[in-house]
Amino acid sequence: MKKDGILYACVYLSAAFTVSILVFIIGFILYKGLGNLNLSFLTNMWEDKTTFVVVSENEGIDEETISEGLNSWEIKSLGIVIEMNEEGNAVIKQIAKNSPFKKARNLQNNLYPLKKSDLITKVGSTRIEDMSLSEAVSAISQEFAASSEAIRVKAVRPGGGILPMCVTTFYMIFLSIGISAPIGILSAVYLNEYAKAGRLLRIIRFAIQNLAGIPSIIYGLFGMMFFVQILKMQYSVLAGAMTIAIILLPTIISTTEEALKAIPNTYRESSLGLGATKLQTIFKVILPNAIQGILVAVILSIGRVVGESAALILTAGTVAQIPTALTGTSAGGSTLTVKLYWIIKETGDLSAACSIAIIIIGIIILLNIGSKLITRHFLIKK
Amino acid sequence: MNTKRMRNITENSMRLVFLTCAMISVISVLSIIAFVFYKGLSPFVGNNAYSFWKFISGTKWDPNNEMYGILYMIVASILGTLGAVAIGVPVGLMTAVFIAEIAPEWIVKIVRPAIELLAGIPSVIFGAFGLGVIVPFIDKISPRPYGQSLFAVICVLTLMILPNIIALSENAIRTVPKSYREASLGLGATKMQTIFSSVIPAAKSGILSATVLGIGRAIGETMAVMMIAGNPIGGIPLSIWDKVRPLTTNIAMEMSYASGRHQEMLFATGVILFIFIMLVNITLIRLTSGEKKVE
Repeated sequence: MKKDGILYACVYLSAAFTVSILVFIIGFILYKGLGNLNLSFLTNMWEDKTTFVVVSENEGIDEETISEGLNSWEIKSLGIVIEMNEEGNAVIKQIAKNSPFKKARNLQNNLYPLKKSDLITKVGSTRIEDMSLSEAVSAISQEFAASSEAIRVKAVRPGGGILPMCVTTFYMIFLSIGISAPIGILSAVYLNEYAKAGRLLRIIRFAIQNLAGIPSIIYGLFGMMFFVQILKMQYSVLAGAMTIAIILLPTIISTTEEALKAIPNTYRESSLGLGATKLQTIFKVILPNAIQGILVAVILSIGRVVGESAALILTAGTVAQIPTALTGTSAGGSTLTVKLYWIIKETGDLSAACSIAIIIIGIIILLNIGSKLITRHFLIKK
Repeated sequence: MNTKRMRNITENSMRLVFLTCAMISVISVLSIIAFVFYKGLSPFVGNNAYSFWKFISGTKWDPNNEMYGILYMIVASILGTLGAVAIGVPVGLMTAVFIAEIAPEWIVKIVRPAIELLAGIPSVIFGAFGLGVIVPFIDKISPRPYGQSLFAVICVLTLMILPNIIALSENAIRTVPKSYREASLGLGATKMQTIFSSVIPAAKSGILSATVLGIGRAIGETMAVMMIAGNPIGGIPLSIWDKVRPLTTNIAMEMSYASGRHQEMLFATGVILFIFIMLVNITLIRLTSGEKKVE
């Protein structure tokens, strides 16, 4: 009886330990990261972006009502309210719809409208640095008053946001699943519908089981050598997505196969009995009935892509940019998870890392709920 | 007649497409093995070859001075994995027992999603947690002036393998037929005696697979470990407070800038890691296929 008591205590303690780990981790991340989290963290670029724009003050400004705060000043003729930051640069706090700054053009003569929270660091020939508010206001007004021509303004759009990483993560999910899902689903169809027991089937299964056990750093080595170097894709989203596509294969194949196995044989027999060919049976009867398993496989895969880091560092690089091509130098990009690691490695800034972690865990929770809902939805249907 | 022939052609060609897709897995495994081994074994052959014995038995990794010894990394990987399994398996098994046998339904409804979430947390977040919580804590209690250590690695790996072990053990426990429990309880055994003397022995093979899977995950884990291991350039770890450098982190840390011999040596590290993983995989496949035969 005493032994029973000890065992009970062990069991309860273990369960409590497991749950408290999760609470601990999430608590830690929220505690460290929540302070940073705001809208501009989600929508800003990572790097500051400096642009020279040309502003011409020719149209009259309607007297729009822009409120003035304590530490800010409205320049009525330009339709902006500015305040100063710590470096003494002017920050656009508010901007009227018809402000000339909204019609600013960059040096390639493309429209580059300035936005709220952009910095103005130089107007005409005057640097707006280490200035007080009144100095900055008079400097800006004077520059614009002195010239009837267009004025060149150096504007800095502040970074510090994770938009590029969000976009790269999205690309990565889309590409890798786009490559892996068709291959995985068709493989599962082969294994479950066509293959006969024998050496070939054993080899394929052995390969899939082995793929599932290879750690992602080995995939990274392979991807770096094959996709990045031999196929000359360089550090790119496509190289990363191809590597991850291989990582995803075992999950997609086995989950889809489970779903295929669950379809009763009578479905196949009645379809074939009605004169449908095997191919028609597969595409019109079997796959539509396995849609639940396929969806769950896709959701599991999304989770895997979001969480992947070791393989991506070696294949997609660590640059915080929005990829504009599939391969080549402008195609590299880091996903949220890679950036999280990179921030810790380069700056040791745990709080910025934890802010990203909050986003990642939010995605994982959504995916978990999603897969639950799908399973429940289809259970009720049946 | 013609349509029938056309149909046969489509049927057969699609069959070929299905087969090709299925073969992609095989091709992937083969090419991964071929590439990693080819590149990883090349520094040990030909002129100017590096002695394989020096590689495998050396205890100092210093690429600038052409010293590539990975024995201390092998020891670190093995110790970290064994430590994690030694703590993770009992705790995981107990938690699985709690979920499958003891806890009322409403608690299971809370605990299971929590474990699923834990399983989905990416390794870099475990690394951040380790760096922010575990390493500072170890720094306080350790006799050494730093917290990055073998012990930190074991702690984080334990957390990371727990969800897998729990899920698989729970599965194994649930598949034990009810009659086992009834027979044991009917003979006058208490609930705990039933669980530990009849249910768990009956679920042995499933639990064993869970353990092997845990070993595989722990030995292959890279990012979390890299942040908390300390990664020294040499020295076999003699206590749990020592800094370590497992095989995986060696590859991940230096791969991005390595070239020539140095890069090949990193691939060679990958070969050693791969051999470990293969052993684990084959054991696992043996175990699971043995299970199916018993059923």
